[in-house]
Amino acid sequence: MEEPPLREEEEEEEEEGDEAGPEGALGKSPFQLTTEDVYDISYVMGRELMALGSDPRVTQLQFKIVRVLEMLETLVNEGNLTVEELRMERDNLRKEVEGLRTEGSAAGGQVNLGPDKMVVDLTDPNRPRFTLQELRDVLQERNKLKSQLLVVQEELQCYKSGLIPPREGPGGRREKDALVAKTSKTSSNKEEKTIIRKLFSFRSEKQM
Amino acid sequence: MAKKTYDLLFKLLLIGDSGVGKTCVLFRFSDDAFNTTFISTIGIDFKIKTVELQGKKIKLQIWDTAGQERFHTITTSYYRGAMGIMLVYDITNGKSFENISKWLRNIDEHANEDVERMLLGNKCDMDDKRVVPKGKGEQIAREHGIRFFETSAKANINIEKAFLTLAEDILRKTPVKEPNSENVDISSGGGVTGWKSKCC
Repeated sequence: MEEPPLREEEEEEEEEGDEAGPEGALGKSPFQLTTEDVYDISYVMGRELMALGSDPRVTQLQFKIVRVLEMLETLVNEGNLTVEELRMERDNLRKEVEGLRTEGSAAGGQVNLGPDKMVVDLTDPNRPRFTLQELRDVLQERNKLKSQLLVVQEELQCYKSGLIPPREGPGGRREKDALVAKTSKTSSNKEEKTIIRKLFSFRSEKQM
Repeated sequence: MAKKTYDLLFKLLLIGDSGVGKTCVLFRFSDDAFNTTFISTIGIDFKIKTVELQGKKIKLQIWDTAGQERFHTITTSYYRGAMGIMLVYDITNGKSFENISKWLRNIDEHANEDVERMLLGNKCDMDDKRVVPKGKGEQIAREHGIRFFETSAKANINIEKAFLTLAEDILRKTPVKEPNSENVDISSGGGVTGWKSKCC
């Protein structure tokens, strides 16, 4: 005995959920129509057609109306399915984008620069800083200095071993630098010697 | 009074893949020493060693190049001045042997046409790790008409022999003339300037 009133209540609630009941479906935006709404519309129209009586023209019109309503049902059904599919796809893509974003920020903003590019960490004290040309220049200078050091070491060895008397050293070097001008060199050497002799003869005479 | 410390100056160059032992080969020859720690050569370096051949004092100026590709443009500019080039591979490293043709091509491209070449298969003391048979080294050397030695800088095998042989080969085609007293300028290769014979 208590069940029927309960059911009525449920139905009432459902109707409230549909906002305005069978009549309200006609006032809805076509983009919000559900198949339920189409059935409501069918119900309302069927009722009104029945009220028109059994005129054969009404019957003919009824067939057409039923057909149109079936078409509408298919379209609404199809449309809603498509909307649902697109909504799911959109949600999936959103999730994917979010994942890629967090992944990207986790990788330290790494950018794909292309095959021949490289990213330099400016905070790395060991980061590459000099060009090949600069390295080439430094190496050239190093090797030049190294060769000069070897020459000086060799010369020093000569002095140490007594092969070159200390005073004659610079003269010897000058002579060698200007081998072509050897004759003029020897003459100038003679000149030097005489000057030196002049300077030293006095002293040596004194010492003697 | 001015007497040169040498009669002739030969410029040699060591090339080959990184880590085959070019620096160690040179260090064994110049200082008769060996160091196990691997320090990659930066760009280019050189050592001097004077040897005596056929009564002549020959100063060998030996340029040691970095094998790493990133130094390639620097090292190739030193090929031009070289009279002899030693191409070194590692008998325990197949890749270094495969790259010989690449290094030979570099010589063709950058060195003098009459440069004396020599192939060295280094680390021959490590026979247990050998991947390049001696015959393969001999074969490729024969194909290119160059001398070949298997060497070990560590065990001091064939090092001096290789350098002296290369120097002899260069000496053989050096026209006999009075030792010139010109400055030996190697700046053309981007290297040392002002090499002078010293008096003593």
